[in-house]
Amino acid sequence: MAEICCEEAMSPPATATAAVAAAVSASAAAAVSSAIDRRRRRMEMRRIRIASDLELQAGEDGRPGKRQRLARTASGAPRPDEDSASERPSCGRTEEFPRYGVTAVCGRRREMEDAVSIRPDFLPASGKFHFYGVFDGHGCSHVATTCQDRMHEIVAEEHNKGASGEVAPWRDVMEKSFARMDGEVGNRASTRSDDEPACPCEQQTPSRRDHAGSTAVVAVVSPTQVVVANAGDSRAVISRAGVPVALSVDHKPDRPDELERIEAAGGRVIYWDGARVLGVLAMSRAIGDGYLKPYVTSEPEVTVTERTDDDECLILASDGLWDVVTNEMACEVVRACFHNNGPPAPAARPSGVPSSAEAAETENGGAASVKGISKAESSDKACSDAAMLLTKLALARRSADNVSVVVVDLRRGL
Amino acid sequence: MVGLVGGGGWRVGDDAAGGGGGGAVAAGAAAAAEAEHMRRLHSHAPGEHQCSSALVKHIKAPVHLVWSLVRSFDQPQRYKPFVSRCVVRGGDLEIGSVREVNVKTGLPATTSTERLELLDDDEHILSVKFVGGDHRLRNYSSIVTVHPESIDGRPGTLVIESFVVDVPDGNTKDETCYFVEAVIKCNLTSLAEVSERLAVQSPTSPLEQ
Repeated sequence: MAEICCEEAMSPPATATAAVAAAVSASAAAAVSSAIDRRRRRMEMRRIRIASDLELQAGEDGRPGKRQRLARTASGAPRPDEDSASERPSCGRTEEFPRYGVTAVCGRRREMEDAVSIRPDFLPASGKFHFYGVFDGHGCSHVATTCQDRMHEIVAEEHNKGASGEVAPWRDVMEKSFARMDGEVGNRASTRSDDEPACPCEQQTPSRRDHAGSTAVVAVVSPTQVVVANAGDSRAVISRAGVPVALSVDHKPDRPDELERIEAAGGRVIYWDGARVLGVLAMSRAIGDGYLKPYVTSEPEVTVTERTDDDECLILASDGLWDVVTNEMACEVVRACFHNNGPPAPAARPSGVPSSAEAAETENGGAASVKGISKAESSDKACSDAAMLLTKLALARRSADNVSVVVVDLRRGL
Repeated sequence: MVGLVGGGGWRVGDDAAGGGGGGAVAAGAAAAAEAEHMRRLHSHAPGEHQCSSALVKHIKAPVHLVWSLVRSFDQPQRYKPFVSRCVVRGGDLEIGSVREVNVKTGLPATTSTERLELLDDDEHILSVKFVGGDHRLRNYSSIVTVHPESIDGRPGTLVIESFVVDVPDGNTKDETCYFVEAVIKCNLTSLAEVSERLAVQSPTSPLEQ
């Protein structure tokens, strides 16, 4: 099954994959219903592999942009040096060292416009806070990649503006951060100087940059809370005691409150191949898309969720996953992977799981699908397995879009 | 920013946002000129299950600059913000030429196949018909004309774009027109930005055409 992603992308050892696949086929039966289906799916995946190989060649032909199509998987866990540190709270491991896995693939699309950002320990002065973001671009990739590069920095700055000693008002932090992010994307559209790298979408006019946008689903995980801010139709879900709980609600133009907001602003939602703002854009909030303001807004919806001992995992993904995989199924797959890998070993640094974070970081002069994790970090195998398997599931279920999945282990006291 | 908000100034004869100043008499004359262009060059005959409309845009750039963008059937991406790529079949550009247009992501289409129906460099008329693609615009036919005009005493251009298209199943005429107009407004706004930028960048161009 590893062939769906290009070989540079890490893949769990075949035996583990098979075991997890077996677990999934039991638990997510809808996906793998019969031997015939399996065979057909294998054929499809083989086809995808061929496509990937071709794209790899295309990338080596000196068209660096094409390389973004390649699947990248990276994941993180304790740094090796931290790994050997002696003081580790017996049940605070999750907080000290985030366990996560991430996969981002182009899938059937021509271009890769998803971007993932993972920034462990991104507020070092304030405690253990880990940042995860999935950005699904449209129109061009530059808004998503700008979010990937900047959002965590803006969130950190906004967080640190809070009065010292006070609990950070996360809702305000996120709302201000999204507004600033949107402003930076818009400003760059009108002020970009000629020596900045030009985006494929702009040839003669900055206005073209204005006709692109990105979803943004951002999670900040602390020892006690999961803060999720969302604009667009990417989604965050946690699994709690076996029950999926959505921490964001997709911003679709036909969501009654969104429809009302758009119409109140003087816009219209037209069903044109699905509900779309002005018949054009199939989401009602996004970073960027200056040409659809104020109907499409960057204002996020924010949830602050207290963590419990029943929490199992957090999943962030683009609609390439959620279009074809339900919240329930996704959580089941992750739990199956967790179950299959057993309890994470203290300082889990699995052997035999090659880290492709290096490739993700250096590929393309920085235009990687996944950013923020350095090659010093290695995988958490269960989370990596889960992210990979969810991605494969989405492709097998014929997702037509880019697929990006981040899985974070929230289990405590193991 | 792009002027989809508000909606003023796009309709033929709705000249409040037109030349900018000049008084009621001039505005009236401009509206009369628009109406005459409309009657002469933009008369569609929509069928019962079709809708038709026309939009106008006043651009502060000389007509030759605007026309050079509009007429490049093989390079609509020079100003159309939703086009990522365009290839003309066969290579030669002539009446009947067909272009394969790739549309950017996030829109209700990925490709469109379009045929050049008319390209008149004297009258400044471009007519294009959609003959294929994965969009919902069947029997779409458009006419773009550009006309010299004076804006604040400087050479400017009036652009008129009209269309006729089948109303697809599941939509009303009103919805269909609204959607197509939204796309055309984006295109014309972008055409204005590109043209006005070119006008500023090429001070050697003649002030009068």
